[in-house]
Amino acid sequence: MTTTTLRRWFVVHKWTSLICTLFLLVVCVTGLPMLFSEQIWDAFVGDDDPPYEVLPPGTPNTSLDVMVSKARAMFPGQIVTQVNPDDDEPAVLVSMAPSWQALKDDDKYPDRHSGHWIKFDARTAKILKQSRPANAPKSPRTWTGIILDTATRLHMNLFAGLPGALFMGGMGMLFVASLVSGTVLYGRYMKRLPFGTVRRDRAARLAWLDLHNLLGAATLAWALVVGFTGFVNELQTPLFGLWRITDVRQILKPYAHLPVVSQDHLSSVQAAFDTAAKAAPGNEVTGLSFPGAPFGSPVHYVLWTHGATPLRARLFTPVLVDARSGELTGAYPMPWYLRFLEISRPLHFGDYGGMPLKVLWALLDLVVIAVLVSGVVLWAGKRKLSTDMRLRALDFDLEDAGTVPARAEHAR
Amino acid sequence: MNATPPLLPRAQSSLRSPVVVWPWPIALGLLTSFGLASALLGQHGVWLVLSWIALSIPLVVTLACLVQAGRRAPLSKGGLS
Repeated sequence: MTTTTLRRWFVVHKWTSLICTLFLLVVCVTGLPMLFSEQIWDAFVGDDDPPYEVLPPGTPNTSLDVMVSKARAMFPGQIVTQVNPDDDEPAVLVSMAPSWQALKDDDKYPDRHSGHWIKFDARTAKILKQSRPANAPKSPRTWTGIILDTATRLHMNLFAGLPGALFMGGMGMLFVASLVSGTVLYGRYMKRLPFGTVRRDRAARLAWLDLHNLLGAATLAWALVVGFTGFVNELQTPLFGLWRITDVRQILKPYAHLPVVSQDHLSSVQAAFDTAAKAAPGNEVTGLSFPGAPFGSPVHYVLWTHGATPLRARLFTPVLVDARSGELTGAYPMPWYLRFLEISRPLHFGDYGGMPLKVLWALLDLVVIAVLVSGVVLWAGKRKLSTDMRLRALDFDLEDAGTVPARAEHAR
Repeated sequence: MNATPPLLPRAQSSLRSPVVVWPWPIALGLLTSFGLASALLGQHGVWLVLSWIALSIPLVVTLACLVQAGRRAPLSKGGLS
């Protein structure tokens, strides 16, 4: 490698790192509480839900139709918007609203929430809990909630919505570029050093450099994977948007002009779940939206199914069931770019291998923080040096200004 | 950066002879990749355990290098700068 090429790689490493370091630090630090959010939530807040009734194992679930009609009887004149069986607990959430229009109008008023839900025991169809009425005084936010919420929003988009997410995606790309250029420089610096050398007996700068190289080399693969999948995750809004205006629009075209069907004469919700399970074999059905839902069809139930294994758990396949006849319209696997997005999620979140994997994720994250900090130290040290040189060039007398106190400190 | 003469004989020997740079980083990278994939694709007990072990090794190696560095020159941190 010629000196010119090396210098170019160095400049790439320096600038890509400098630009993304601050944001990377934010992401690494906020990622830690996000990683353990479930545990933090359970430890500091918990839920006040009543315990589930103990029933003999194998007790069959009640038909979802019973719960839907119970919900409709409780709020006559309102519409059911969604039915979501819980993935882990024997519960079913039935969401309702005064109308689709009311839900849409909520967007205009940040304080208005016309949607609400009822939680049923999946086996007995007894009501377990209801969302707080919209006009009830707001419950005070807990510190845990505020901290976790702040961390999540900083991590995802710096409180700046889609532009923030895209910006953070850009920072993720710069991070990957900085890792690649750093690897090239590593090869050059380590030419005469055995792996893992940390020279503490020489200049402090060399110790920092060795540390930066060691920690960087040890976490390189992990940082590449988590950095790149983080970048992919930040693209989710545009990618889903792309799907919506291409495939989804195409599928729904024949129905787009139809009026939303009334909820009084719809086909069975339970039957729609069963139909969807058959249409997407190997998948679990996690939820159903009623006809008229945003981005849905005016005459179909949209059922969301996902794979049962960690690799496929975030691969969603929507299924359309005609809500007038109960017949299957079709299952629509997602396009490749959304499959790629869904697969990259577990690799970013580290939530697919139990608690030990999360702990390893946190430790690797801490090492990456150390790489970032040592990088900043190296840059700042060098900067000081060049500033000194610049000051000398301007005929400042640096012997009195800076160097002497520094020497005095060493003498102590 | 190698212009200044090395200060200690031990450092001298390690600075002069070129060493093979890549085996360790590549091995750690492969272990990490294996660890990430085995939990994702395997899902079951033994694959999870293999994943935890594979992902721990880069951390253990790092720690070992740091401990070694700490032992080698415990008192001279920054002293000769």
